[in-house]
Amino acid sequence: MDLKQKVESLSIIETKALKALDSEKPKTMEEIAQKSELPIDSVRRAIEWLKEKELAKIEEEKKETIVLTAIGKSSLRKALPERLFVEALQQMKGKGSLEDVFKKSQLNRPEFNVAMGLAKRNAWISIQGGKKTVLEFTGLEKEFLEGNYPLEKTMKKIKEALELNKEEKKALQEALKRGLAEKVIDVEKKALLTADGKKAIALLETVKKRAYNVYGAVPKIFIGKKHPYVQFLDNARAKLLELGFKEMKSPLITQEFYNFDALFQPQGHPARQWTDTYQLKQPKTGRLPDKKIVERVKAAHENGWKTGSKGWDYKWSEDIARKVMPAAHGTAHSARQLAKGVKIPGKYFSIARCYRPDVVDASHLIEFNQMEGIIIGKDFSFKHLLGMLKEFAVEFGQTKETKFLPDYYPFTEPSVQLSVKHPKLGWIELGGAGIFRPELTQPLGVKEPVLAWGIGIDRLAMCALNIKDIRQLFSQDLTWLRNTKQVVE
Amino acid sequence: MPNVEASKRDLQKLIGKKLDAKQLEEAIEFAKGEIELVEGDRIVIDEKDTNRPDLLSAEGIAREIRARIGIEKGLPKYKVRKSNVSVIVDKNMAKIRPYIAAAVIKNVKINEEMLVQIINSQEKVCGTFGRKRKEAAVGIYDWSKLKQPMHYRAYDPRVKKFIPLEYRIEMDLEEILLEHPKGKEFKHLLEGFAKFPIFEDSKKVVASMPPIINSQLTGKVAMSTKEFLVEVTGHSQETVNTALNVMVSAFGERGFDIYSVKIKYPNKTIVTPDFTPGKITVEVDEIKKISGLELSTKQIVELLKRARYDVTIKGKKLLCKYPAYRPDILHPVDVAEDAIISYGYNKIEPEPIRISTKGSELKTKKFKRACENVCVGLGLQGVLTFTMTSKEKQAEMIGFDSKKEQFVEIENPVSEKYTVFRKNVYPELLEFLGKNKHAQFPQKIFEIGKTLELDSKAETGTIEKNKLCIVFSGKGADFNVSKGVLDAIADNVGFKYSLKENKTQSGLESGKSAEIAIEGKKGFLGELSKKTMQNFGLDQQTAVLEIEI
Repeated sequence: MDLKQKVESLSIIETKALKALDSEKPKTMEEIAQKSELPIDSVRRAIEWLKEKELAKIEEEKKETIVLTAIGKSSLRKALPERLFVEALQQMKGKGSLEDVFKKSQLNRPEFNVAMGLAKRNAWISIQGGKKTVLEFTGLEKEFLEGNYPLEKTMKKIKEALELNKEEKKALQEALKRGLAEKVIDVEKKALLTADGKKAIALLETVKKRAYNVYGAVPKIFIGKKHPYVQFLDNARAKLLELGFKEMKSPLITQEFYNFDALFQPQGHPARQWTDTYQLKQPKTGRLPDKKIVERVKAAHENGWKTGSKGWDYKWSEDIARKVMPAAHGTAHSARQLAKGVKIPGKYFSIARCYRPDVVDASHLIEFNQMEGIIIGKDFSFKHLLGMLKEFAVEFGQTKETKFLPDYYPFTEPSVQLSVKHPKLGWIELGGAGIFRPELTQPLGVKEPVLAWGIGIDRLAMCALNIKDIRQLFSQDLTWLRNTKQVVE
Repeated sequence: MPNVEASKRDLQKLIGKKLDAKQLEEAIEFAKGEIELVEGDRIVIDEKDTNRPDLLSAEGIAREIRARIGIEKGLPKYKVRKSNVSVIVDKNMAKIRPYIAAAVIKNVKINEEMLVQIINSQEKVCGTFGRKRKEAAVGIYDWSKLKQPMHYRAYDPRVKKFIPLEYRIEMDLEEILLEHPKGKEFKHLLEGFAKFPIFEDSKKVVASMPPIINSQLTGKVAMSTKEFLVEVTGHSQETVNTALNVMVSAFGERGFDIYSVKIKYPNKTIVTPDFTPGKITVEVDEIKKISGLELSTKQIVELLKRARYDVTIKGKKLLCKYPAYRPDILHPVDVAEDAIISYGYNKIEPEPIRISTKGSELKTKKFKRACENVCVGLGLQGVLTFTMTSKEKQAEMIGFDSKKEQFVEIENPVSEKYTVFRKNVYPELLEFLGKNKHAQFPQKIFEIGKTLELDSKAETGTIEKNKLCIVFSGKGADFNVSKGVLDAIADNVGFKYSLKENKTQSGLESGKSAEIAIEGKKGFLGELSKKTMQNFGLDQQTAVLEIEI
């Protein structure tokens, strides 16, 4: 292959890498990547190809560097044995028996022996024999205690890769001997243009590239797109809009009044304790709605009000209802909407961010989305509730095969669980529903039956995005996001 | 939702009819349970109704099923024999934990399965219906070790001593609260009282310290125990009676003999257990209206008998009596649900909803979508981060003083990573970039999301803002890029803005950043300062744009 043919056969990546090379100064792979704007892995491959085509050559440069060993690093973090030794003796007021110093220093025996040897060599201590060996400071230890110790300084410099002076080079020998530091050899690859390579660059300008390597890889193009989970939720929203639902406001922070009290959840209920819901340090409280509504909710809790209920028979506190909290479920927003006023007949929904103090794992998040809503109409019965769920099974479960199970929610009666045979997941619990209790709706000013429903949206999202771990809904992996297909479900 | 563990053999025996796997599954659905696991003879039932303490044991589930599948009908009957046993309540309990109910059970024959059932259902009844022992705490004792009359009275915590369950040494009441695992778990229930409750016999032998712990010597039942004393304490006679009924009726299901106990309060005496059924009147039409089913009065009565009600027809009204172990019937809708469950949810023909309404989304969503379209057109990748985060990220790492900055803050965080709500989106996106340094550059990302700030005038004490945040990272990601993007959004979404020198938003390079004002809303743009880049571990040039939309 002559040079011209070679140039014609170059891929785009090779061309870019070639142009980033120099004939005089060898360049590192990182430098080439920066100049060519290619990913580093592409650069490495391209340089190998260019080498085979004899347009580039690779130089390997060996570099000797000195680094701290693991022992060196840990001694630097804590202290060298000799320092622990001297400090032990210092705590004993400068004099003590060998065994006492040993215990106090908390060193092991070999470390202790090294440290004592050093202390003696540096004349920091004198040793008196006899029945018991006694160690005593000489006065020369002061400089060391003040922190003036070449070995430690040298090790710090090695850690920061700084130049060593003459005295420190001496200390380096000791560090190497004691295994606190070691020499390592790095091999760095640098690339340089060959003579042909230089000519090839010149040719690039003149040769009209007739032959692309049509089989070669081209740089990847990443398009702009929505986050896949956001896209999924938008699709769900579009389906609800088609079904005639109106979107409700879904604030992140709500009064306990809407999260619990208006839903007829008694104030002493365990679900309201702080292991089950988040509470706020600040702000603490918010405002309650119209006094009439508050009075009626209070009466519903205490004695059932005019709803025909017994109520919960306890003293209801406005102060508890006034507290604010991160919304624990989307039903809080349905309560807010009912209190504000609804059209009859009417359909409402929310896709709301909700919060619960769980431990995060493959199936739990502390922050997640709930999709739910209400349908209000004069003559609605349990039969209509099932009719509504049938429709949801088709829209969201992609199936007509359903099963209804008795269920329990504190705010609905009757309650029902919707199970469907999902084409991909098999039988799953798709959602829950029920007719809001009269103790909930009547105090909020609604006389007609309110059908309430919720769909387990996160489970469906995981299926649509083909993921097993719920944490991936909030994936922090850019490559995964870029490579995820458009969500159509 | 509580799990009920049982032996399949035991459950079948209690139901009294052989059911195959499918029949058993359907039967359990009648009792609002779902089979979670079958493993040999062991069966775990997920009980969904947290307001039905009577369904938290194999005995209770079997009793419900027997009626629903037609083996029995109407109220279950339990014979209560009279005894001379009494509990004397001291007047010093009035302000601490005033109410108690008790019963004696004789002719007890239990095996290991039953013992497990008793202990589990006791725990579950206290946990759910008893509101974690606050409203009802159950104690079961070996009656042969106690001498009547029993006393329920309060003692000075330093004076009274006994050996708590699973311990070997005597401890005073204060020590128990501080050291025993159950003491630590439930000590808040006795907070603020100078004296603590003690349940003891006529010879001052301690049976328990309600609602904390039983005595190791008398408050432990075993397979060899032949006679039980059961007691429930709490803050309402009705609640403790119901809890006692739940426990005692389960023993009745096993065929044990139930004996009553006199409770002698300072000013009156009552007898427990009290199985007088609850009463509620329901209109026939109301059940028809709620269910949507065309049912005759006779049919409805039959359905309710299968839900263990006794019913008397009075014109268009039904006078219903329901078992004394059910605390969940507050309103005729509760009776209606029972009738529908008896009918069978899956036998009902669903009725399509035929109302005509127009769907519409919130106004903010429309504007959000317009911004999103521009971002996608600009080739940006959408990302999604949490609204809960840490002060460190939202203040320190972008150069604000975390002591001075005020946040909407969590009182009970589970992790240090999530303690406040974010005020700005961009620190979250910078963290995202820091985790993606190996991915191909340039990196261009955006998020549209909510942020929260304190506002004492607002309804919830907080003000919510929708923010659009864009971050560019890589060669050439400079001030001009961020401003160019702002122009592109302004032109395409249709708003005007003005810029001024950045004085308030830290974390950005001064002289290469600006504050934005958009029709009363704020924002900022520009290059990150070196320090911010270091804090998030970024090595490529990075520019941000964040505006309220």
